[in-house]
Amino acid sequence: MDVKNILEKQIKENCIVLYMKGTPEAPMCGFSASAVQMLEACDVEDVATVNVLENQDIREGIKEFSNWPTIPQLYVNGEFVGGADIMREMYQSGELKRLLNGD
Amino acid sequence: MLTPEMVKTYIEESLTCEHVEVTGDGQHFEAVIVSELFRGKTMLKQHQVVYDALGDKVGGEIHALSMKTVTPDQWKAS
Repeated sequence: MDVKNILEKQIKENCIVLYMKGTPEAPMCGFSASAVQMLEACDVEDVATVNVLENQDIREGIKEFSNWPTIPQLYVNGEFVGGADIMREMYQSGELKRLLNGD
Repeated sequence: MLTPEMVKTYIEESLTCEHVEVTGDGQHFEAVIVSELFRGKTMLKQHQVVYDALGDKVGGEIHALSMKTVTPDQWKAS
């Protein structure tokens, strides 16, 4: 299976997918850490996280797939939401919580 | 080392914009970018416009770029 198919499968099979550096328990970058914190603050439990540092093909592939050059990247219901800046703006306005909780 | 001024120049050279402010420490930068190109676009699309303009520099030479993208109207009103 090529990278694009793997990504499509991950995004399709999980409502919320966060591509990040490291894991929620041990994030390897400040931006990924804050993305995890924001998701936790929105009371969502069912988040699939993908550590891009474990797989170079995924790390490069997701950038091309989303047309977005940086990590973290959040996908909700199959759609690319954005990176850390956009998550923060949406978190502050309450939009992120609404999106994640399906309101 | 990459300076905020250099990042500002990159942005100004690659994107039609009215105003750019950049701060940063050589790896992580924060930019406020005012451009007519952002009008009518979602924040996601606005950021993609900047990323597209900067090409391989983001994620490469520029480790991370936080941005606030606004239209000239929003900038005047703020």
